[in-house]
Amino acid sequence: MNSKSTKTYLSYIIFGVVLAALPLLVSTGIIKTSWVGIIGGTIIYAIAGLGLNLLLGYSGLISLGTAGFMGLGAYISAYISGDLGLPWELGMLLAIVIPLAFGILIGLASLRMEGLYLGIVTLCVSEILRKTFDELEPITGGFSGKKADFPTLFGVIELDQNTTYILLVVVLVLLMILTYNLANGQLGRALHAMRGSQVAAQAMGVSLLKYRLIAFALATAYASLAGALYVHFIRFVYPSTWTLSVSLVIMALVVIGGLRSIFGTFIGAVIVYALPDLLLKNIPVIGDINGLSYIFSGVLIILVVLFYPGGVVNLFSSIGNKFKKNDSSAATLATAADAAGETPVAAATTEGTEASNE
Amino acid sequence: MSTLLQVLLRSLETGAIYALATLGIIIVFRTNRMINFAQGVMGMVGAYIVTVLNQNFQLPLLLSILIGIVAAIAIGFLVDFVIIRRTKKVTGTGKEIITLGMMMVFLGMTPMIFGVDPMRLPKVIETGELSIGGANLSFNSLLNIVVGIGLTVALFTILQKTKLGLAIRTTASNEKTARLMGVPTKWVTLFAWALALVLGTLAGVMIAPSTSVTVNLMDSVQVNAFIACVLGGFQTFYGPVIGAYIIAIATNLLSYYVSSVWGTQILYALVIIFIVFRPVGLIGKRMTNKV
Repeated sequence: MNSKSTKTYLSYIIFGVVLAALPLLVSTGIIKTSWVGIIGGTIIYAIAGLGLNLLLGYSGLISLGTAGFMGLGAYISAYISGDLGLPWELGMLLAIVIPLAFGILIGLASLRMEGLYLGIVTLCVSEILRKTFDELEPITGGFSGKKADFPTLFGVIELDQNTTYILLVVVLVLLMILTYNLANGQLGRALHAMRGSQVAAQAMGVSLLKYRLIAFALATAYASLAGALYVHFIRFVYPSTWTLSVSLVIMALVVIGGLRSIFGTFIGAVIVYALPDLLLKNIPVIGDINGLSYIFSGVLIILVVLFYPGGVVNLFSSIGNKFKKNDSSAATLATAADAAGETPVAAATTEGTEASNE
Repeated sequence: MSTLLQVLLRSLETGAIYALATLGIIIVFRTNRMINFAQGVMGMVGAYIVTVLNQNFQLPLLLSILIGIVAAIAIGFLVDFVIIRRTKKVTGTGKEIITLGMMMVFLGMTPMIFGVDPMRLPKVIETGELSIGGANLSFNSLLNIVVGIGLTVALFTILQKTKLGLAIRTTASNEKTARLMGVPTKWVTLFAWALALVLGTLAGVMIAPSTSVTVNLMDSVQVNAFIACVLGGFQTFYGPVIGAYIIAIATNLLSYYVSSVWGTQILYALVIIFIVFRPVGLIGKRMTNKV
């Protein structure tokens, strides 16, 4: 542990404390009760987004199976803690382990081929899972949906909506710290090397399949955890929830927020998930139009990829760079390295890597 | 025996639809080096235009389809002009993300323009059927089969025999060299996108009468078309078409003889197992990256 990572951890924890204060603000009446639900949903999307960011941002692979794995996690957790009456913690554990094992199998089958197939295979897997959710009525409740309860921690502490929300914040902060460590550890370095040059990375002994598989498995685990949290926060789940559009929204938030940026993922989730709910719907006339938030995210994705590959989080760092001379050279270095998708965040991570090597 | 024949005839019809959607994906993939995830929704938009012209404006179906095709070409040009031309410097993943963004835009715009209520599109030939060896085949299905095979053959003739086809094949093989050799690659990609839109629209119009026209019209067609590309390999134009017919036959056989509920899932699982053993698909060469 060095001072840089301590500082980063601290920023995540402060961020978490600020987020956790939301129910307090609601009880004083400053903001509406519905905000807890919306920001809670944002956190769940951000959790799935963090996993996808490891995959998409670091290894450049697209997964369209996020929704399927979220659904799988949700149903497993709801079934174990609801129908079987087993502890909530066990349900969560299995809701991560089973999709993870499944994800590793799919990764093994599809990642050997230039990464081209992962998007397509995960699309098909998501489709298989969605059909299975429809048909497997004893576990999923079929079309009529399935109920779940707020979690009961250690069999004694029963949570309500506000405390479940705080649980979500805690999980988010823990995952942000975990993601930071993964991105700056061996995995992150290997994926960075692969992104620079696959051939050079292979020559240095980095196994493409191994690290891509790890990245995909992590994305799966994060998604299923997000799904399991979803079912205990929203307390209701339909098979029609887990369509391709959820996977698209999560990919959108990762791209818009900023690839390879942890805070960026959350900012992306706010822009894609919370902003349409909080702002767009309140605008007269155009707010009533169906699918407006969809067009909004779609156009944003295209604009970000074409003109601002660093994502929205880059706005903050480019403003910051105007005031700091030293950082700007690092940023130009990073942009020179890969014209199509580098961010100053990558410069920050390289610094982190250097620091950890000391 | 007659049931088997019936299943096979029906497979030829679904195969024709999958083949058209597959060709749309592969022509964009080969000329632009990108997987177009928006192929399905683009076909859905085309089918919506045809349905609205036919149902709300009371135009004859064939005229509606004709206008739909013209509109599809226009949308294809627009997509290429406004978005794809600017993606020269974007990485492969970036391009795929852009097609996913396009998909979201189309999905959001469709209910905004055409409303949220499901619509119905009639068949081109409403009544009448043939009887072949105890199996029935409606004239409309026959038309779909003929259109599917006819368009595929026509497209391959264009690809192999004409100057345009040569330009497409050169661009597909190496875009940079093709440009240096004086092939107007800009026109080639423009043509590819317009063609993809037209093929998608036709696939949409063919599948629409058997279901209702909603934003999800092409979902299963799209997944099957991608699976067909994986099965047939991305390296040739004809591999995916063969894949499309295999997928159609296998889906129908599995759902008729094995399980109507789990048939598709079993098939997808089989294809995933297949690419473990043959990652390049049925017909395909291994892609090599030069350092």
